[in-house]
Amino acid sequence: VATPSPPKYRLLGRRIPYIEGPLKVTGRAEYTDDIQRPGMLVGRLLRSPWPHARLRSIDVSAARALPGVYAVLTGERYPTPFGVLPITHDETAIAVDKSRYIGDIIAAVAATDERTAEQAISLIRVDAEPLPEYSDPRMGTSKVGEPIHARGLLGTNIQKEVVQHFGNVDAAFAHAAHTVRVRGNFAGVTHAFTEPLATIAEATPDGRLTVWSATQVPHYLHRSLSEVLGIPMHRIRVIKPEVGGGFGGKSDPLPHEIVCAALSLETGRPVKILIDREDVFYTNHGRHPTQNDVRVATDSEGNILAYDIDALIDGGAWSSFGTVTTYYNGVLAMGPYRVPNFRYRGRRVYTTKPPSGAMRAHGGTNIRYSVELALDMIAEAAGIDPFDLRTRNALPPNSTTVNEFRITSTSFLKCLAAAREKSGWDAKFRKLPYGRGVGLGCGFYISGSNSPIHFTPKMPQSTVHLKVDMDGGIAVHSMQADIGQGSNTLLAMIVAEVLGVDLERVHVQRVDSDVSPIDLGSYSSRVTFMMGNAARAAAEQLRSKLVAAAARQLGRTPDALEVVHERIQEKGHPDVGVSFLAALHGAMETEGALTASGSYNTSPVGGSFKGARAGTAPAYSFAAYVAETEVDVETGEYHVSKIWAAFDCGRALNRLAVEGQIEGSIHMGLGQVMGESMNYRGSRLFNPSLLEYKIPMPQQMPDVEILLVGDDDPEGPFGAKEAGEGPLIATLPSIGNSLYDAVGVRFTDLPITPDKVLKGIDQRRREGRAWKGN
Amino acid sequence: MHLDPFELHRPTSVEETMRLAREWAGKFDYLAGGTDLLPNYKMHINLKPHVIALDAVGELAGHSLGRVGAMERLGELERDPEFLAAYPSVADAVREVATPLVRSSGTVGGNLLVETRCFFFNQSYFWRASLGFCLKADGDRCHVVPQKERCYATFSGDLAPAFLVLDAEVEVAGPNGRRRMPLADLYDEKGDGIRRLKIQAGELLVALHLPPKSRTLRGRYRKLRVRPSYDFPELGVAVAGSWDDERVRSLSIAMGGVDPYPRRFDELTDPLVGQTLTEERIRDLADAVTRAVRPVHNTFLLPDYRRRMVSVYVRRAIAEAKGAGAT
Repeated sequence: VATPSPPKYRLLGRRIPYIEGPLKVTGRAEYTDDIQRPGMLVGRLLRSPWPHARLRSIDVSAARALPGVYAVLTGERYPTPFGVLPITHDETAIAVDKSRYIGDIIAAVAATDERTAEQAISLIRVDAEPLPEYSDPRMGTSKVGEPIHARGLLGTNIQKEVVQHFGNVDAAFAHAAHTVRVRGNFAGVTHAFTEPLATIAEATPDGRLTVWSATQVPHYLHRSLSEVLGIPMHRIRVIKPEVGGGFGGKSDPLPHEIVCAALSLETGRPVKILIDREDVFYTNHGRHPTQNDVRVATDSEGNILAYDIDALIDGGAWSSFGTVTTYYNGVLAMGPYRVPNFRYRGRRVYTTKPPSGAMRAHGGTNIRYSVELALDMIAEAAGIDPFDLRTRNALPPNSTTVNEFRITSTSFLKCLAAAREKSGWDAKFRKLPYGRGVGLGCGFYISGSNSPIHFTPKMPQSTVHLKVDMDGGIAVHSMQADIGQGSNTLLAMIVAEVLGVDLERVHVQRVDSDVSPIDLGSYSSRVTFMMGNAARAAAEQLRSKLVAAAARQLGRTPDALEVVHERIQEKGHPDVGVSFLAALHGAMETEGALTASGSYNTSPVGGSFKGARAGTAPAYSFAAYVAETEVDVETGEYHVSKIWAAFDCGRALNRLAVEGQIEGSIHMGLGQVMGESMNYRGSRLFNPSLLEYKIPMPQQMPDVEILLVGDDDPEGPFGAKEAGEGPLIATLPSIGNSLYDAVGVRFTDLPITPDKVLKGIDQRRREGRAWKGN
Repeated sequence: MHLDPFELHRPTSVEETMRLAREWAGKFDYLAGGTDLLPNYKMHINLKPHVIALDAVGELAGHSLGRVGAMERLGELERDPEFLAAYPSVADAVREVATPLVRSSGTVGGNLLVETRCFFFNQSYFWRASLGFCLKADGDRCHVVPQKERCYATFSGDLAPAFLVLDAEVEVAGPNGRRRMPLADLYDEKGDGIRRLKIQAGELLVALHLPPKSRTLRGRYRKLRVRPSYDFPELGVAVAGSWDDERVRSLSIAMGGVDPYPRRFDELTDPLVGQTLTEERIRDLADAVTRAVRPVHNTFLLPDYRRRMVSVYVRRAIAEAKGAGAT
């Protein structure tokens, strides 16, 4: 009989509810809209009703003359371009000369109240000349009459083109036993975070500007405010209150944030801008509508020989993260399999639609869907079980991909084994009755971008400061942005774990650029890995001060001591020791309140060719999901009854948070499959509301069985890797492949609405191709 | 988006309501549960300067097996097992309206008279202005079927079909007193998405009356929509009747979510009385109903698909009809 080994950590690995949970569920947590400042004005935005227009003149005189109006701004006041990527600054706070989509900001007003501000907006007269509308990226791949941006490639609307070739794809295809081609068409989807966008700015007579904003990346907002407003960063203070979800939609510096600050500078009063739900849809920055064309070649055993991928990506009006998106749609196809030959062309094209940007599992979702469908098709053609096909192609640990990604830890094979066993795959695949099916989909994602969007790569990606005074409470400062994913709780857990103290001693401070050391924020699934390592370093530094003090008090050497729960004691002699507080007070005798600082930076990885850094990460997550689905073959409606989610996030540090991320990811992936889509007719969005944008209801959620099988990562904090984005990716193809097993139809386009299911079933029947006897 | 101010009136009797209706004729809306009117007001759709709230009019509240007050909240019906058991088509329908939260405010009268819906209409002022307004609000043309005469907005209540198949009657108060008429006569089948009711402006729906014979019928309501809650119907089919293996004693079908008004298909169901309800007859009936409807592209699902579902939903509703009349 094996006795279970004692847990390696006191807190890490447990299921810890969010430390701010009681405040959130009782309505006491402070979000941006909860903040009131004395004399605060209301900011409102005039949005363009035209898809594409030259702004000849804007008459704001009547708006300015309206009593209660303090300022009216148009684009020329702060025309400095900005954007989240330093290389593609093509946005302005307010449109200058042209507006580029329905919803683009043309002017802004600050007034005493909402009604006055809206009345002022309605008094602004815009003389505009409509310009050609380019609603489809295909319209912009060759020279166009009126490019949306002057920086488009050679008079086209192409914002970014990536061409990569590793190995020899044509030769691989020439010798392949099996080749398949999947052409996918993906509607745009958007984050639909719970808390709409909101910003408050307050310029004060001491020459400073304070900005509170619902942002995932306070640091980039800080930099953009400085650049556009022409104020040095040290005179700007950015505060991040509680944030109700982001999913990438709050990671760009957004124009309304800059407009809000500008209005405060103009008026000398605090100004609040709330973006209502419809305008959140126009602000968008969601997942790009994409058309991809994926060819896969294998040998007769199903070993992957080559990928040949083309992606046409609908960028909308601005660059946003688009250059990264363009790379990711290719290179994130690199795992979780060995791909010896690889060719990719990706083009991101401006259109006269709301900008697309980064959304959960950015760049890795749509291409993964097509690749996983292709592998399912190969498995079928080669007569190989889909699990066996994936198993024989798995990237090994400590390997390098053909485009020079460094792979360290991977528990992908364990993911496959767990999903196969727990789902009862072997008894179900192709064996369930007509209309029911199981499908396998796998995933792979970066655990933090190795090459951050940053002014100098030599500075740390994350820094954490600790301060502890005689009360024994530990203040933690970091600019990491908890947006609901639980990073504050993890920060507290790591500090408490290292110091051996109770969680309640740790007080994670609100992000405030005046006191928070820089962390690059919540995007690219970087927080646990990077902030976690920084927090660990800071806490270890603090611990060594406490241990040194205890050693002095006990007359022992520091290395003879160990930190246990709320106590420092001699190894092997637990009776010889001091309490945490006693050690702390001892340490304070020589240096006052204790402080410590820890930081983390990525080590250089990846190749040296152009674009080599895109997709490099200090670690990667892996996933294998099985979905089981029931189709109503008469209506095309379907229900995903269960998903077995085997995931490798290394060591799960807060299991409750990891489970929440996986369940939430599955819900989000389910939405993109079942009905979420930005429905455009031309450039016009038809469903800018939560009624007509079809986020799945609770009744549509499958049962979810989470299988955390990851081994410790060598570089992740306590062995951890990301769990924020990777868990979404495998959801979509697992459902898509389960529909094939159910009714024998490949659905290459998302979303898969019931009418498409029915059409597919009809077509198969018309062609006389029976499936499971039907 | 915010509500523009309006003057709120809160009468406590039907008579006082009528007086206010006369006083503010043409310049008011009745407010029942507000779950549809107020969102429309926030989008600046057909605003009125006066709103007459009906929640304090005692006569409009409450329900029994034979009478349902127009202001009875959907949630109250939902919590009455005896009522639900007596009217299976209504039991289905009431549980399919929106969400529990909406049903706690939403009323029976509000659902029967709910404003017709359309992609081009249920949009913000900004959205509608940027495209050009439509016939139904602020404009003079239809964007669904481009022309300037007829509005194609769709009736989107769930309860009307379920009550229509029960031969329910409505009690209406007007300037000249009370009248009772079949629920079917409330809706104008010669009208369109704008002119869709046969009651006069200012007339007030007081109550719905259910004949005793409607309590012994089988019934079912089936609703097509993208998501199993929250969404308005893309198609709603109600059936009620009495039949056994031998023959049909009565059978009614009503449909919402397709036309600007809910409608019955008596001309198709009446010939079945006295016949045996075979699978083939059900199928023929379902196909005949399908031929009689023509959805347009103004909701989330495509019209061809919604039309195709008519046949499936009619067939299934009959097959699944359950309740007191089942033998």
